[in-house]
Amino acid sequence: MTAYREVVVRTPLALKLLPILSVATFFIAWEIVVRTGVVPDTMLAAPTTVTQLLFDKFTNMDPDGALLHQHAWVSIQEAFGGYFLALAVGLPLGLAMGWFNVAEGLARPIFEIIRPIPPVAWIPLTIFWFGIGLPGKIFIIWLGGLVPCVINAYVGVKMTNPTLIQMARTYGASDWQIFKQLCIPSALPMVFGALQIALACCWTNLVAAELLAADAGLGFMITMGRRLAMPEMVVLGMFMVGLTGAFIGVIIDRVEKRLLAGIRR
Amino acid sequence: MSQEATCNAASSSIANETVGQVVDRGPLNLGRILTNRWFLHTVSIVAFFSLWDLLARSDVLGGGSSALARPHEVLEQLVVLTREELAELTLWGHVWASTQRVVVGFSIAAAIAVPLGLFMALNRYVNAVVKPLFDLLKPMPPISWISISILWFGIGETSKVFIIVLGTFVPCLLNAYNGVRLVEPELYDVVRMLGGKRRDEILHVCFPASFPAIFAGLQISLSIAWTCVLAAELVSARSGLGYIIVQGMNLSQPAMVIGGMAVIAAAAWGTTLLVTALERKLCPWKRKIAGL
Repeated sequence: MTAYREVVVRTPLALKLLPILSVATFFIAWEIVVRTGVVPDTMLAAPTTVTQLLFDKFTNMDPDGALLHQHAWVSIQEAFGGYFLALAVGLPLGLAMGWFNVAEGLARPIFEIIRPIPPVAWIPLTIFWFGIGLPGKIFIIWLGGLVPCVINAYVGVKMTNPTLIQMARTYGASDWQIFKQLCIPSALPMVFGALQIALACCWTNLVAAELLAADAGLGFMITMGRRLAMPEMVVLGMFMVGLTGAFIGVIIDRVEKRLLAGIRR
Repeated sequence: MSQEATCNAASSSIANETVGQVVDRGPLNLGRILTNRWFLHTVSIVAFFSLWDLLARSDVLGGGSSALARPHEVLEQLVVLTREELAELTLWGHVWASTQRVVVGFSIAAAIAVPLGLFMALNRYVNAVVKPLFDLLKPMPPISWISISILWFGIGETSKVFIIVLGTFVPCLLNAYNGVRLVEPELYDVVRMLGGKRRDEILHVCFPASFPAIFAGLQISLSIAWTCVLAAELVSARSGLGYIIVQGMNLSQPAMVIGGMAVIAAAAWGTTLLVTALERKLCPWKRKIAGL
């Protein structure tokens, strides 16, 4: 008899089947509800209609004036423009606010004034300033991504182990050296958390910005679907927004894993 | 002598490694004043408002007075709005209209999502049914539902409450779910060792330990609720703070737009304080986290 017994933990069959079953039921119920006319087809489109439109939109410009991948490409451009600008401004600002008292003293009050204002509320002012073109939308997305970047970088620096800082001081490190060699590396996991959160914020704000003022993009497609009373286009737009967002999220997750491979959490 | 003082300061804490609160008063020189926190805060706020005023008076942003209002004009506009009626409501009426929507939507979402999240974490069969559907709907931003909710419910109150419910549902559910899942397993072991049953585990370990996470979820969803109500009101409304902003935009009155933004910030801040106070009352065992 051996000292160790092998324990096999088996997932019950029901647990494997239930997820598939629940999604399948969802789609079938949706299809039936629309087909039988319980919900009128001016309010909701059946999944099959949406799928049809999906393939149709790759070749057909009507009625919103652009192909599906063109809409998606415009949205991705806007989202990434705002996202990278938010990272470029927010992360250094947050890191500096976490370590340098002067930076925190100067930036904190302004940040606290801006923070509670939802980025969506900036849309009218942005239209006054930039019109409805690309810069305006990038500005709104930038505002949305900025707040999580600053907060996460700030908290990341603040969570640096104080013992390490005291040790570095004992060995005569300057403020700048401590910041560069201790605070930034220890804030990295939080910073990468910010990448994901900021992306989600940017993507939400993108839709908001495009709902109000745009002439292309996925959010614009949703609005056009409502104006033309085409629920299949609204649903397709929503699914594309969700799908693209989830896809970008997965890519960032991969990048994060690759870059953070050597760092202990 | 000085060592004694340090010891006294440190003796109030439990660990022997903590740094005592020793305030050393150096001479009052220029550098010390310049790096004082309150001095810097004042400088920053004064600089912010004067820069704003300067921008509003100059023509940098284009469009002159229709691009940005001066700070005192915003204040005057707000005072006017509290006295005169805009679409049959004063400023307080609009604040109340928005707050009502947020409170109703937020309560509905919290009442459904938190128990559902707890249930999903406690029972893996419920989890297997609900999780895939939730994962399917989660990546769609709540704002993208605005169009379809207008198709379904028209432009009345229902569609706005629906958006808020959808937006606040996700963080409420996720935090309740993760709050239970991330409970330290040692705590369960303790209860089991003391002879507790499954019911004791849930009542005395799961719920208290997941409370802080649930409240963090409520805080997040509250700020999302304000974003959602605003977006819904910007698209279509006859009352609410979003309506004030839209009116300001249509009339080209930046003072009204900025006034509306300021009131929203204040309202969002107020509701956040309320939830924080509630949290302190309901779960005093939560650890204090320094910083933000």
